[in-house]
Parts: sequence; structure tokens; C-alpha cells
Amino acid sequence: MSESFTIQVADSLRRFEPNSPRSSPRGNRSPVVPRQQDSTGTLKTTISLGKTPTIVHTGPFYLHKELPGDTDLTGATNLMAHYNLEHSYNKFSGKKFKDSLSSFLPGLPGMIDTPGNTDNSSLRSIIEKPPIGGKELAFLNSSQLAGFRLHPGPLPEQYQTSSLAPLKKKQKHKKHKKSSEISIQETGAGIAGPGIGVVGEGGAGSGGESYEKKHKKQKRHEDEKDRKKKKKEKKKKKQKHSPEHPGASASIVTVFFQNEDAAFLGEAFADVIQPDEKLHGDDELEANRKRKRNIQKELSF
Amino acid sequence: MSAPLENLENQLELFVENIRQVKIIVSDFQPQGQSVLNQKINSIVQGLQEIDKLKSQVQDVHVPLEVFEYIDEGRNPQLYTKDCMEKALNKNEQVKGKIDSYRKFRAHLLEELSQVFPNETMKYRTSRGDDVNRIP
Repeated sequence: MSESFTIQVADSLRRFEPNSPRSSPRGNRSPVVPRQQDSTGTLKTTISLGKTPTIVHTGPFYLHKELPGDTDLTGATNLMAHYNLEHSYNKFSGKKFKDSLSSFLPGLPGMIDTPGNTDNSSLRSIIEKPPIGGKELAFLNSSQLAGFRLHPGPLPEQYQTSSLAPLKKKQKHKKHKKSSEISIQETGAGIAGPGIGVVGEGGAGSGGESYEKKHKKQKRHEDEKDRKKKKKEKKKKKQKHSPEHPGASASIVTVFFQNEDAAFLGEAFADVIQPDEKLHGDDELEANRKRKRNIQKELSF
Repeated sequence: MSAPLENLENQLELFVENIRQVKIIVSDFQPQGQSVLNQKINSIVQGLQEIDKLKSQVQDVHVPLEVFEYIDEGRNPQLYTKDCMEKALNKNEQVKGKIDSYRKFRAHLLEELSQVFPNETMKYRTSRGDDVNRIP
């Protein structure tokens, strides 16, 4: 009874004594310290066990640790030179690489510069969901190939994909050429007047650039037509100015008719020169030449 | 480029060319093109067989995943190599700078400590095996 009472008193004393090993949950045992893995070297200490376990530092200084071993290769060395990559580095840093994939693979057809997410053709998707493989690759027999019998004719529009390569930057030169042509045409209207139409009214200037971006193909067709027209007109002019051509006189008169200033002259001399008449003999040719010269002299005044 | 990689590249180019030709045939199909189409389909199968044979020769070639990101974005994969080398060089310079800074700090600290605690500093340096007269 007295022993149990003393034990109880001792217990109560323990509970009420603050900052004492007896009040700790582990009693008089050393506290548990989470062990942190220290990779900077071994600590020169000695641990003495027994009734009073202690940690004694045997090194000359507190927290005196052994240094890690010296290594030849550190970040202080030029690693490019160490691994013989200087040449490769100079090659990659000096050369200007184009950003597009098509510049790396010029032989591949189609549009390869588009991101893989748009048409579900990304390499990432193949890594995440690899296709089922491991099966034997066998040639198809005639009955299996019968499944590939197609209907004749073109594909519907929804399945047609443009196989054209992306538009190259060389078109900028064409744009400059177009704008220069337009400026020449506008300034050099002269006698030709409305007979030869002005090409691409919206082609010059900044407004035309946005128009051209939207309707490039249409412009190309228009330009080709205009070039053909110009060539024909040039040919006609050359033929007009040649004296041997039977229709030369008629063409000169018609040009003068188009010019408003000379319209009255054209009317006046319409009876003199009849364009539908065919020329016969050299005499008539000479006469017509003289008439033309006279008309030209009068108009020049 | 090594021979196995060149072979694989050639084989892949031939395969892509076959596919392109099939696309042309199919885009505006004519009945007389059926036999040609069948031949092309079998040549596709043959191309796949050839590529399958070459896979054993390139087993040891490791491609970093980051390159696939460049390719999926439609960018030149050589830019990845260039970016890698530039990053490596920058990191090398960074680490070299840190090492040099730490060395200078150590030297400066030892110098100051030797002025304030000469005996202890001597003990420390002898325990480290440093040449006492050498400037760290």
C-alpha cells in the first residue's frame, strides 16, 4: 500500500515537473532527432554509449567535416572543349537555321509545317498511345485487294487536301514588279487612252497588298491575261506602223478617232481614207502614204 | 550520318513517295488505274516490311522527347540541338562563375580569419593539409 502510494506520488511529481526528462514522453531517453542525410562529408565525432550517451566532437573544430574528393571535371572547366564539341557548337551557332520543318526535310511532299495537333498527326500522340504492332506484314491477295476497288472520278471537295507546297517568299518580287507596271501604265496613258485598260486598280499601295493576299490566284490569272493583251497590242502597233500592212492606214485613223482632240479631224478625213478598201497596185500605195504624211503633219500642228 | 540511319532515311523517303503516288491516283481515279493502285498498295506493304527489318539496326539510337515537341510544332529539330548547346554553355558559364565566386570568398574569409584568429586558422589549414604559405 505504501509502495503503491509512493509510486503514485512519484508519477504525479513527474507529470507536474516541467522541462525535465521525467516529464518527457520518452522518459530519460534521448530525444529522437530526424536524421538528415548530410552528403558534404563525414563528421569527425565519437559517440559514447552507456548510462549517459553523449556525442563528442573529436575534430579540432565544431562541425569539422572531411572535404569531398577532388574531381578533375567540374563546372569550372570548358566542357565543350573537354567533350570535343567546339566544332559542332561553332557550326550550329554560326549557321542560320530556318525555323520551319520543311527546311530540314525539303524532300517531303505536302504541308509539313503545320502543327501536329491540328490534324492529329503528332509524334506525342504516338508515344502516349502507341499503335498496335507486332503483327505480321503480309502482302494482300486478290480477294483482299478487291476491297480497294474505287469509283472513277475526282474526290469530293471535302476530302481534297491541297497538295501544293506553301507559297514561297519570291512573290514579293512579283508584287514590286506589278506595282512598277501599274505606275508606268498610269503615267503613260497618252494616245492609247481607254483602248488599253489599266491593270489592277487596287494593286498599288498598301490597300492592294491586303487585296493581293486574299485573291492571289485571281490576280495571277488577270495579270496573265493582261500580259497577253499587251503583247497582242504591241504586235498590232508594230504592224500598224509598218507601211506594207494593208490595215495600217485604218488602224492609224481609228487611233486618232479615239483621241477626242483629233475626232473632228478623223471625221473630216474619213472620206479620204476608206479602211475597208483593199489596196491594189503600187500607185495606190504611194498615194495613201502621201495622204498619211499630210494628215500627220496637220495633226502635229 | 551512320549507314543504318541513312538506309532508314532512304527507305522512309521511298515509302512516302509511294504514298504520294497513291494519293495522286486516288484523287482522280480512273478504272484503268486499278491495277496500278493494287501494285502500289503491295509496294506500301513491302516498304513497311523493309522498314521493320531496319528497326533492329537503330535500336541503340536514343532520341530526346523534347525533339518531338519541336517537330510537332513544325519547327526545325536542328534548332533543338542549337538550343541545347547554348543552354549547356550558359549553364557551364553560370557554374564556373559560382565556383570562382566561392573560391574568392573562401580566400577572402581565410585571410580575414587569419587576421582575427591566427592560431585557429593555422590549425584549420594544417588539418586540411593546405600549404600554410599558399594563398588559397
